[in-house]
Amino acid sequence: MLTRDELKSRLFLRVALPLVKVVREDDPRMRRLTRNMNAVVQFAVKGTETGAHLVFSDDRLEVVQGIHANPTVSFTFKDLKSLNDFFAGKLALPRIKGLRRLDVILRTVPLLLSLKMLMPAADPKDPAKRALKVKLLLYMVTTALSQLNKAGEPTMAGLAEKSPDRVYQWIVGSGPSAYLRMKAGKTKAGRGIYTRRRPFVLMKFPDIEGAYQVLTSKVALVEAVKRGYVVTEGAMEYSKEIGIRMQMIEELMAT
Amino acid sequence: MAKGLTWTIDDADHMTQAEIYGEVLTQLGAQNERIIALTADLAGSTKIGRFQKDFPGRFINLGVAEMNMMGMASGLASVGFIPVASTFAVFASLRCAEFVRTDICYQNRNVKIIATHSGTSFGQAGTTHHCTEDLAVMRSFANMRVIAPADSYETAKALAAAIEAEGPIYMRIGRSFEPPLHKSMDFDFEIGKAIQIHEGTDITVVACGRAVLSALEAAEIAKQQGLSVRVLDMHTVKPIDADAVLQAVGETRRIITAEDHNVIGGLGSAVAEVIAASGKGCVLKKLGLQDEFSIVGYPEDLLHRYKLDGDGIAEAIQQVMKMDFEADEDWEDEV
Amino acid sequence: MALQGDEHQRLKQKATHIRKEIVRITYICGGTHIGGSLSQTDLIVALYYKYLKFDPKNPEWEERDRFILSKGHGGVGHAAVLADVGFFPPSDLDDFNKTGSPFGMHLDRLKVRGVDASTGSLGHGLGIGNGMAYGARLLGKTWRTYVVLGDGELNGGPTWEAAMAAGHFRLANLTALVDRNRLCIDGSTEEIMALEPLREKWEAFGWKVLDIDGHDFDQICEAIEAAQQEAERPTVIIARTIKGKGVDFMENKASWHYGGLDEAMREQALEALGRE
Repeated sequence: MLTRDELKSRLFLRVALPLVKVVREDDPRMRRLTRNMNAVVQFAVKGTETGAHLVFSDDRLEVVQGIHANPTVSFTFKDLKSLNDFFAGKLALPRIKGLRRLDVILRTVPLLLSLKMLMPAADPKDPAKRALKVKLLLYMVTTALSQLNKAGEPTMAGLAEKSPDRVYQWIVGSGPSAYLRMKAGKTKAGRGIYTRRRPFVLMKFPDIEGAYQVLTSKVALVEAVKRGYVVTEGAMEYSKEIGIRMQMIEELMAT
Repeated sequence: MAKGLTWTIDDADHMTQAEIYGEVLTQLGAQNERIIALTADLAGSTKIGRFQKDFPGRFINLGVAEMNMMGMASGLASVGFIPVASTFAVFASLRCAEFVRTDICYQNRNVKIIATHSGTSFGQAGTTHHCTEDLAVMRSFANMRVIAPADSYETAKALAAAIEAEGPIYMRIGRSFEPPLHKSMDFDFEIGKAIQIHEGTDITVVACGRAVLSALEAAEIAKQQGLSVRVLDMHTVKPIDADAVLQAVGETRRIITAEDHNVIGGLGSAVAEVIAASGKGCVLKKLGLQDEFSIVGYPEDLLHRYKLDGDGIAEAIQQVMKMDFEADEDWEDEV
Repeated sequence: MALQGDEHQRLKQKATHIRKEIVRITYICGGTHIGGSLSQTDLIVALYYKYLKFDPKNPEWEERDRFILSKGHGGVGHAAVLADVGFFPPSDLDDFNKTGSPFGMHLDRLKVRGVDASTGSLGHGLGIGNGMAYGARLLGKTWRTYVVLGDGELNGGPTWEAAMAAGHFRLANLTALVDRNRLCIDGSTEEIMALEPLREKWEAFGWKVLDIDGHDFDQICEAIEAAQQEAERPTVIIARTIKGKGVDFMENKASWHYGGLDEAMREQALEALGRE
């Protein structure tokens, strides 16, 4: 049974951190910044196997879980709590190895900082940025739910264990979509629309702005439905069950 | 970081099609002043309350006295009204069975019964509030027509058709939070004529009510394995569309029936009657409650338990076709 | 208002004639619910011969008063009246109970002219009557609805559902008459499933209650008129009657709930009625 800190670090490393890839694809400036860079940037907790690393090679970026044998730059945190604080936007300075590769650091930091967009306080005015935030939040929800199950977190695992093959689908207008598939204890978070079966619960946001209002909690759900920001179809009780677990994630990641 | 991604589905009314039925009844009520709505203390639960708001003089709440409601409906019909009487299916069909039979069917009174929360759709309320026998009972009453619409759009159309048709009609619906089958009101609906929801030549699934959407899902799953499944929305269980059944017998030779009902006496039996009378060979597999009482559970879980969801029907298709489908075994999160 | 001399006489004569018809038909067809048909006769005669608005040439006449014999097993008595007032020839009743005949123990609305509801299964009449009365009021009509109930019938729940609703909806245009002969099939109502205190029960449900001698035309007519005047509540007339009334060997005998007559018994019965 994982502790709260262990769960949080999982969410940060396996769910939030990989979103830098999405940011990079979406933003041409970010891509130019790290094009032709070949380096490994690692985030790890001192003395443990807990960590993840960004692998930049040519024009590609991969996010790999675990410890790399020979990272170019390494951000090492003294403990889990520090790592969690860092990713939650709190002050927590890691030990940095590979300072001589300042070029790598300077190009990676903006990518990391872009994740600040996910924070509640961030409210970009630029429509493109708002759309990006929606996409990121959408991917984050689904992946976080799945990762919680894979981590054996009881509330999420309990739901997945008893589930027949079911798909929970989120769709924003003609824009980003993501799903969570569950079957007999297994879960998978995916992007786009799952085509092999119809969704068991479908949450549709007719447009980006409505999705933004709902996903950032600017408008409460009941009000959102009244205003047409979101339409839910499918199993009522299970929408509620998923909602409860999403609340859990918010609590884990916000504090 | 993730603040805002939480919600609970409390005000589900606005997220479902629950209002469509109430809207349509109200519209019909505006067009036809002979329509009078009756309920037995279930105005809120059966969505007939919308009608009450607009036509308070033509709305009667009998309190928890369903038998009197049916008797009154008969009396009102005798004076020229078109009573639309609504309560939970288990009460409408079983508690009131004799009143429906003797006061309404036997005397051929123009009463429309809207039985809500039929089958196992009442989920958590448990077996006393489920009704998996109503199709069997109502089918056996002469003069009664029996309809099980697949979704709220069909309920609306069926209601309009029922008002137009003379004579007693029993219509069983869910709790109105069922997902839609149709995309809009733009389709034809005729009492007694099945709707072909999906074309196919290998096997036919004949379903009614909630099971129709499941049948469609199963057909889509099967399609990916190269199977061609015909899906018939048999919304009118009596009089059944015998032609559609006979066509399925002749062209596909395999029929699976699916209903949120006991396999004894309902849609499956009605289809079996047609097949047997035709004298033609045909495989028949009946999905539904296998002569058992239901249990407490979320409605979707109960559908799954009784193999009335997409997976259950797909599994039945597999068995009848003696084929295995490939499962999707990719469980890595996309990051 | 007491009946004028000859009107009283006329009703009594009609009642005797109907009772004789009941005996005649019972003899021909092999058996009827004769006990209860005899006890209810005076109530039905008063209604049909003095108060009910109807047109035998037009049974569906919209402005007619409605009459429901909730104790549908009294059908032979009702049929005799319907024949006598002209809905169909009395000779039609010779086929009573025969296969294919429109007349059976319980009258079928769809087969017999003048019948407003097919009853027989107890407990249905008052509910249907509720619907008619409610409908009449909605349409602004002045015709009234009369329902005759048996007292054994009052054991059942549905009648009380209907009573409660009638009280709740203040259906003043609805009148119930209880043929209180104090006998059901297995014996005395009070031994089997006691109904007393009956007046208080109806009052509690919001009804005006009138207790009368169900064989005294003065009282019957006074009660019906009082019911017609009552504007706030439905009225129930609890009529104390005698099962088998008019035929001495049947009176007050539960065993004559249903029975047949041979020739000797028929003669005896007609003779007893002749003395009425």
